[in-house]
Amino acid sequence: MKPIVKSAAPTFSRNMTYGLILYVILCSLLSFRADAAEADLKPGDTIGPHNWERVKGMVGDNLLDRIKQGYSFKIKEPTRYDVPREYAEATRKYSGKVRLGADGELLNYVAGRPFPQIEPRDPQAGQKVAWNFYWRWRGDDYKAGGGTEIGKVIRYAIEKDGSERRADFVAYFLFPRTRVTLDPKPVIPGYEHIDSLQLRIDSYPRDSSGTATFEIRYADPKRPDDLYLYIPSLRRIRRATTTQRCQTLAPSEFNLDDINFFNGKITDFNYRLLGEKKALTNYTQKNVPYQRKQGDYLPIDEMWEIQDVYVLEITPKDPSYCTPKKILWIDKVAYEATWGMTWDRKGDYWKELALFRIPAKLPDGQVAWQEGTGYIVNVQNGRSSVLTTTRLYNQGFSPSLFTLDTMLRIMRGGTI
Amino acid sequence: MRFRRMISFLDNLLIIFLMAAPAQAYSILGEEWEKFFKERVTFAGFIENTTGLSVAAGDSKFSTSNRFIMNRFVIQPEFNFDFDERVKLFISWRFVKEPRYNKEAKDRRRNSPSLQPLDNTFYDEDSFKPWEMVWDVHPIDRLSLRIGRQFISWGETDGLRLLDVINPQDGTFSPPAAANLFSLDETRIPLWGLRASYRLVPASNTALEFIAMPGYDGRKKRVDESAPTAGRWAPHPETRIPLGRLFANPIGAAPVVIPSISREFPDAGDNWRLGGRVIHSIGKLNFGLGYIWGFNPQPGDLTFKLLGTSLGPGGTTIARLRLFNDRTSIFAGHFNYPLEELKTALKGEIALYPSKPFNISKYPGSPGLKAGPDPRHPDGITEKNTLRYSLGFDRPTYIPFLQPEDPWRVFNFSFQIFQSIIFDHEDGIRAFSTAEKIKQVSTSLTFRVSTGYFGDTVLPDVFVGYDPEGYWLANPAITYVPPWNEKMRLSLIAALYGGRNKFKSFGSFDEKDSIFLKMRYQF
Repeated sequence: MKPIVKSAAPTFSRNMTYGLILYVILCSLLSFRADAAEADLKPGDTIGPHNWERVKGMVGDNLLDRIKQGYSFKIKEPTRYDVPREYAEATRKYSGKVRLGADGELLNYVAGRPFPQIEPRDPQAGQKVAWNFYWRWRGDDYKAGGGTEIGKVIRYAIEKDGSERRADFVAYFLFPRTRVTLDPKPVIPGYEHIDSLQLRIDSYPRDSSGTATFEIRYADPKRPDDLYLYIPSLRRIRRATTTQRCQTLAPSEFNLDDINFFNGKITDFNYRLLGEKKALTNYTQKNVPYQRKQGDYLPIDEMWEIQDVYVLEITPKDPSYCTPKKILWIDKVAYEATWGMTWDRKGDYWKELALFRIPAKLPDGQVAWQEGTGYIVNVQNGRSSVLTTTRLYNQGFSPSLFTLDTMLRIMRGGTI
Repeated sequence: MRFRRMISFLDNLLIIFLMAAPAQAYSILGEEWEKFFKERVTFAGFIENTTGLSVAAGDSKFSTSNRFIMNRFVIQPEFNFDFDERVKLFISWRFVKEPRYNKEAKDRRRNSPSLQPLDNTFYDEDSFKPWEMVWDVHPIDRLSLRIGRQFISWGETDGLRLLDVINPQDGTFSPPAAANLFSLDETRIPLWGLRASYRLVPASNTALEFIAMPGYDGRKKRVDESAPTAGRWAPHPETRIPLGRLFANPIGAAPVVIPSISREFPDAGDNWRLGGRVIHSIGKLNFGLGYIWGFNPQPGDLTFKLLGTSLGPGGTTIARLRLFNDRTSIFAGHFNYPLEELKTALKGEIALYPSKPFNISKYPGSPGLKAGPDPRHPDGITEKNTLRYSLGFDRPTYIPFLQPEDPWRVFNFSFQIFQSIIFDHEDGIRAFSTAEKIKQVSTSLTFRVSTGYFGDTVLPDVFVGYDPEGYWLANPAITYVPPWNEKMRLSLIAALYGGRNKFKSFGSFDEKDSIFLKMRYQF
């Protein structure tokens, strides 16, 4: 057999070369076609079942199916925005020394964007995009829910049959060691070892109101998060483990790592930059929360816009993890995720996340972006969740807010 | 009287509904008030009905029925006032209507000596006194003060109480350790007091806490005084104490002992409670160390001193008893620690009672009597250092084949062990109310598992307790939350008890197995 293979090798190699050339030409044509489709889209265009091909590859597969089935929307002008100047300044000041360690950990990082330049051919480009996503600008602190009329995050859990349940909560975040705006900068003394602190408090319905979680994420990549739970009917704090990252946070379709599109420890995963593309999203959501039909998670009366994104593939290092692959489409300016797609262990499409954004006026008058309304849909069981999570940035939260003692003074109703 | 009570109850309802409609009220107060109510005031609460059916209809050993055949209606309106960043107010009222039960009245009349039926409003709550009224004030960043009628809870345990003894437990809720039936939120009694905490080092969660409850709540004894441990804070609201079997009949002809109780001030609801603790984290370990001085926490721990006996009516004997340990002091500790490798959270509590008093008797007593006076302890009291502790393990676990629709919805498993150790133990140390001996080491185990199905619209929760001496309880519950309305909950709950001796731990309610239907609407 060997000689035959050997003698056939040149012919096969030549054929393969021709095939490759043909393949490259076809791919180029196809990619040109896709780019042409993207380029064809212009403000005022209406997308619907009659022309769904025009947005193929620019939205998640589930939304594409919904478009085929009748969902339609208009295209609008893309929003122009930039990161706040303090963040850009910190990036200029500190990014030069930032390096990746042997296990993908971040070394010499202080504040700002760790890797302002992404070279797609860099084998570590995926890891760098992941770190840029992790340390994207989110203010030095923020209150999630602060921007809605009622001052709460509003979440609807929607069943397959369209029935809905509502829940409200607020969440306070502090990033104590990467501060660029609020004093002390860049780190609050004593907090050098903590990446973020999060206090989340339910406020509706009544029985869950006052329930709170307090989560500490440590800078040490090997140290799991600390998670405490306050149960108002017991008036007590419970410790919880954070190692079951895949557990469903029912009745929503999120799990611990789905929060903010991807909430895993960066060093627990591998990353591959699959490329760059144009995607549909919305940075100037019209209504907050967006209007939708009862029982459906998709917006009505909202227009979509084209933005440039990185396509990042995330695969777990732990083979027993619930999903073998997650893909994020990450906005190239803000490094905010606009789309997230997850596959289950059988390789079937599982969950799809999409999020709109709205402008956020900062206390110093600058205008940045904030989360608006988004959804997660489990395409396998048909359930979905819709969240409106607007934010108030740089509120100057005291570190003493983020303590176990604070949990003990949370009132029924969720005020602290 | 009955009519007046009903009018009062309806008045309360009317006022609740008026308060529940601030939109109408504030619109006439002007723009500023309107803005205040809209932005700073929230209103919530619940309406609940609990219906219980006794599977085993009563127990001849108890002189009255219990409340396992019940129908309880509760309305609890709650207001939050968010005045500014430094001052908040929470206020709630609790109104309860629970009729007296005919069987209860019959059983009391049949008792010997005969007892008057309980008042028809015995179980009601119709006072305008706030159930909770808490001012939360932050004069400076790290200091917070909570002033008002409130709950204060220390510790880590679930279902059974160890350090959670600062607020008294409402003894009129009969089922013990039925965590799925009445939550601690409902069975504890709030007290007026102050909780001050100072966050010493926020980064390590280091905080100092001081509590003081001066006992402004008046006494509220709601049952006849002939029951030694009866009262709002007693383990048994009715006369169930088998005193006669313990002492009968020292001097009289009839085999009956009528206990005559003196419970001197301070009493359960009207005495001081003081405490302090420090909370701190070292690495993954979070812990607290402190001290509590106050009312004797657990009704089952009450100790009575026998002052003497005298001849009563009809040849009966009157035993004169005085509550001995209305005060107690506890050195307290609690901790939690995540065992990441085992995906388990470890939790623990420890309570050291120095010189804790116990009743002690000689077993058996004179011929025919279960026990009699112990010659070594003429007053029937001995004091022993006592240690109680608990260890718990909480583990969220995937069981995909039991969750085919959502294999990543965890089952929350919780296992706890409780032990009580009496140092320098003596034979004859006993619980007063049941006259059962207490061993040097007593152990209880609890296990709980809960999860959710169909997007958490169906929520099973099973709480099981076991005493290695042969007693057990099972408290399974299943709750339905309609997928179309987050405000409604419907629960079916069973409370099952077993054991050869119904006067011990979980066996106290043997033959009282019951099921309950609980309907709750939140607003």
